[in-house]
Amino acid sequence: MLASIKRTGAIAQRVLQQLRHDHRFLALSLLMPMAIVYVLFIFFDSLSNPLFNATPYVLPFAAFEIHFITFILTAIVLVRERVSETLSRMLVNGYRQSEIILGYLIAYTVLATLQSLIVLVEITWLFELDYAFGALASMYLVIWLLAVISMALGILISNFAQTEGQVIPFIPLVLLPSIFLSGVVLPIDALPTWVQRLSLLTPLYYANELLGPLVRGDALGHHLAALGALPLYGLLVLIIARFTLSQNE
Amino acid sequence: MMTKDMAIEVRDVQKRYGHIQALKGLTLDIAKGQIFGLIGANGAGKSTFIKLLVGISKADQGDLRIFGLDPNKHLAELRQQIGYMPQSPALYEDLSAADNLRFFGRAHRLSQLNSHVEEALDFVELSQRADDPVGNLSGGMRQRVSLACALVHQPRLLLLDEPTAGVDLKLRSAFWRHFKQLAEQGTTILVSTHQMDEAIHCNHLAIISQGEIIANDRPDNLLLRGRATVRIWRKGKPQAFQFEHYPEELAALLHAQGLDKEVQRVEIEPSSLEEIVLNMLEPSQDIQEIKDARLN
Repeated sequence: MLASIKRTGAIAQRVLQQLRHDHRFLALSLLMPMAIVYVLFIFFDSLSNPLFNATPYVLPFAAFEIHFITFILTAIVLVRERVSETLSRMLVNGYRQSEIILGYLIAYTVLATLQSLIVLVEITWLFELDYAFGALASMYLVIWLLAVISMALGILISNFAQTEGQVIPFIPLVLLPSIFLSGVVLPIDALPTWVQRLSLLTPLYYANELLGPLVRGDALGHHLAALGALPLYGLLVLIIARFTLSQNE
Repeated sequence: MMTKDMAIEVRDVQKRYGHIQALKGLTLDIAKGQIFGLIGANGAGKSTFIKLLVGISKADQGDLRIFGLDPNKHLAELRQQIGYMPQSPALYEDLSAADNLRFFGRAHRLSQLNSHVEEALDFVELSQRADDPVGNLSGGMRQRVSLACALVHQPRLLLLDEPTAGVDLKLRSAFWRHFKQLAEQGTTILVSTHQMDEAIHCNHLAIISQGEIIANDRPDNLLLRGRATVRIWRKGKPQAFQFEHYPEELAALLHAQGLDKEVQRVEIEPSSLEEIVLNMLEPSQDIQEIKDARLN
């Protein structure tokens, strides 16, 4: 057990070391979300109308952006390791699949934590959102959980690709339905029942189930079941990722 | 069947990828402390076999033992004893050479990881470049870092998949010096290659073709399987004769030919290991044809 924790730590440390060396990647990963939020601000600002309140739309959009960005961050990582044969080398040296997946998740969580924080702070500032610290912290928790789960989902799909190019078709497959199925664009209730069931497949649905009430001023404590669904979803994705990351060719 | 002098014992191992039968009942023994060469063309099954040994691929059928242990049941234990160098360098280019070694070394329970890393880098003569990012090193240096990664935990068995592919002559000879040094220290080395000039450095060779072992012998014994071409030059023209065992047969030829003053020159050209192996791989082709084809 201790040896396994140490090996997971070794992988997380190595990935962080690599991230630290890649200044351009780091800068883009942090600046891009900020730029997108600013474009969103200009968009809503040009719609400015005393009767239109953008607030209910801004946070679900921020959640979608985080889902998008963090999912793409990890979607390619394991494929890159597979192509360069470092994945084989890790496995031959005794790193286990679960350690590789968790090591990556831990390392990228550091980056995703920063990204979620930047997006939430910028949105609060630009849109002059007037929430108490507790409410903002609750929103941050939801967005952060969504970020971690999206990365787990990215790792999972990278298990199904043999080359970096094969990852690309998976990206719209995961992201586009999530826009329509999560309630960001259209209320879920307006969709046919079978489509509503499909919405359970996207983590963005669970995040929006929580962000909606939070935006309306409700406390997170009243939605513990929905809050529990997020980590549960993440755990399920990680378990599937563990069993689809084949040790054998 | 299993003996304690054997590092690797393979019995009737088969592996299929879709409709391609990559290994067709491979049977092989590799003694401890040997440098064992696995020779074959690209796609002959060399890498498939090595992947079975390191546990990143599973045999469909057959029995495989490493130091007497079944890799399917004792994978964790065997991983401490096996060093693997894949065909591509398989390194993190943005990390330094030492950091790469440290990372792969951390998967093993090594009490003195840093001294293991220093020792392995010193062995491949890269101590001076230990802190340089691998991406800044030349192709040959990367291969050396890759070898050092396979050595960092001081394995008893080293599996090298075409370690000298794309490596210049000088470095290649350095690699073989390293391999011989390791073998002298008791490490068993399995090296796959398609470079015949290297095969001669091995203690034992197996020639693999289309998933089957077609020869398994010492290099000097394999050389005996060759033929020699004798050319007798008269009036500026050569006449060629071929012999299975020329030391015994040459005298008879010379008697029959009569060594008159017209004989200007006698050339004896024994087959090289490359020609012998090529002839085994393509038995329909005559050695002379292979030579001629190369000359043209």
